[in-house]
Amino acid sequence: MPPLAIAVRDLTHRFVVRGGRLTVLDGLDLVVEAGGHVALMGQSGAGKSTLLALLGGLERPQEGSVVVDGHDLTGLSRDELAAFRRESVGFVFQHFGLLETLSAVENVELACTLAGVPRRSRGRRAKELLDAVGLGERAGHRPGELSGGERQRVAIARALANHPRVVLADEPTGNLDEDSTTMVVELLESLPAEHGCTLVVVTHNRALAGRAKRLLALRRGNLHEAASV
Amino acid sequence: MSWRDALALAGKGVQRRPGRAVLTVLAVALAAALLTALLTIAGTAETKVLDELAKGGPLAGIKVAAAEPDPGQIDQDNARPGPPRDLDDAALARIAALPAVSRVLPVITARVLVTAPDRTVEGQALDPFLDTIVGVDLSSAASLPLTVLAGRLPGESSVTEVAVTQGYLERLGLERTEASTVVGSEIRWGAGRFYPDGERSFVRGRWVRAQVVGVVAQEAGSGSFLVPIDQARTARAWTGSGPDGGASLELASSPYTGLFVVAEGIDNVSRVRAQITAVGYSTSAPENLIATVRRYLHVVEIVLSAVGGIGLVIAALGITNALLAAVRERRREIGVLKAIGARDRDVLRIFLVEATALGLLGGLLGTALGWLVARGVSEVVNGYLAAQGLVGVRLGIPVLVVAGGIVGSALLSLVAGTVPALRAARLPAREAVGGS
Repeated sequence: MPPLAIAVRDLTHRFVVRGGRLTVLDGLDLVVEAGGHVALMGQSGAGKSTLLALLGGLERPQEGSVVVDGHDLTGLSRDELAAFRRESVGFVFQHFGLLETLSAVENVELACTLAGVPRRSRGRRAKELLDAVGLGERAGHRPGELSGGERQRVAIARALANHPRVVLADEPTGNLDEDSTTMVVELLESLPAEHGCTLVVVTHNRALAGRAKRLLALRRGNLHEAASV
Repeated sequence: MSWRDALALAGKGVQRRPGRAVLTVLAVALAAALLTALLTIAGTAETKVLDELAKGGPLAGIKVAAAEPDPGQIDQDNARPGPPRDLDDAALARIAALPAVSRVLPVITARVLVTAPDRTVEGQALDPFLDTIVGVDLSSAASLPLTVLAGRLPGESSVTEVAVTQGYLERLGLERTEASTVVGSEIRWGAGRFYPDGERSFVRGRWVRAQVVGVVAQEAGSGSFLVPIDQARTARAWTGSGPDGGASLELASSPYTGLFVVAEGIDNVSRVRAQITAVGYSTSAPENLIATVRRYLHVVEIVLSAVGGIGLVIAALGITNALLAAVRERRREIGVLKAIGARDRDVLRIFLVEATALGLLGGLLGTALGWLVARGVSEVVNGYLAAQGLVGVRLGIPVLVVAGGIVGSALLSLVAGTVPALRAARLPAREAVGGS
């Protein structure tokens, strides 16, 4: 049996809202093998992004345990969580999350910087990653000069800067047109095989979800295997 | 993330809102300019005022008279000489050897008869008149209470050059503003030697023809003509070597008319005066006046610093406001930075560097602008002083003010950026996916 990339046990997460507390995740369990490709679906507000944030160490688990790439995220300090994100996780956001004042290559270089890539190697590494997503020619362009699909490919290149064990994508095609969606979907789909990482995608896009090896639906705070979309 | 990386990222962050960055820098620059201009002007004014009080000489200057001291003179700025007492080389050597004495410069005066070809402003020829030549060591002019109003000082060993004082100008009916008109003119002066010859005594003169090379204000000795000390010594020797030893011409027995003693700093003036009094000579120094004026000037400086400081604080609040706005606008960007691995201290560093860089830039521009403003003001002041026949102010580059302006702006900006930077650093990484 391949090692586990993600092991979530009895995860419960609540938000304080006006008039009380809202339980978003309620005793959730999830196991994902290394190199796996999982799609998470669910209605808006179901807690998909919250689960992704918890898996990526953007937020601390309140109850239960979250183990990702061998790191038990329960009880980690802010710095330890930052180190975990720096070393083990790559994020792809719906809003791309690129710094507008940096060029494509500088955005990727920034992730290399935080990942501890030596200064002299950063440029080369960033250029390689942009070449890998087919944007080597647009390296000097700022996000404002790129299409939505191109920006998301830059974001994917950035997510790979630290050789992540797990890539977490939150609605990666949510802001893209059909052609760009296809290109980004194919790129994401290739990550586990080409980069040896585990891919978890939160999406409303059935085409994207259909490419995953496992499809999970988040309903009433827990995950359910979905046989088909 | 290194400081260098943080600086690069902060620079890119500034580009996001260049207009806001420019306005922030301008606010700091204007405040720093105000502070620099005020302190530079205050410093220059202080120098000028103290220079006037010291009559162009060192602040720690002490005049020693060829007279015994009055016991109460220590607490008085003005001289209160007692009976005459000779000041000779031995006395000079004793005073020079006193602790905290930096220099001792002798002053020799001699009574002379002067004939000048200059005419008064009414066009009348000037009658010969009795006056005094004041001889000092002109190679040490910077240590003497001398101010050149026009032209230059005589050469230190010249026998044909003389500088005149305002007293001579007044004799000609000239204003101080017209000082330069006498430069280049020629005078003759003669030291007298008395010869008794029965009932018809007579005086023989040793005449010197000298060119007026400058007009000075001087407090070294009482007289309208400033000459190299050897000229005065020669004139005095001529008078003193007569049959009566100069007694008929009221030649004082003291070889030196006075001394000008420079103490090691103004704080030592009182001590040195006490020591000279103990040696047995009368002294005078404007130490009390200078100390009082310095206290008032210090108060003025504090007030001006406070005005400039208020400006800087307002500018710092502007930086805080601008950075708080930037943090609000960049919540998601900060979240993304954290999502890709930035620690709280990395984010803190980026915002602190941004604040400091804005402050530093503002400080650099501001101090340069402030100095230019001060220079402009000094030009106006000098124009006024020149019209009054007074010596203008010299505006140097106040290194402390400049360094303080730049470093102070940067530090204040650093402090101003601390709250926004801490707020940014504490933002949850969850902001990257839209907050909770």
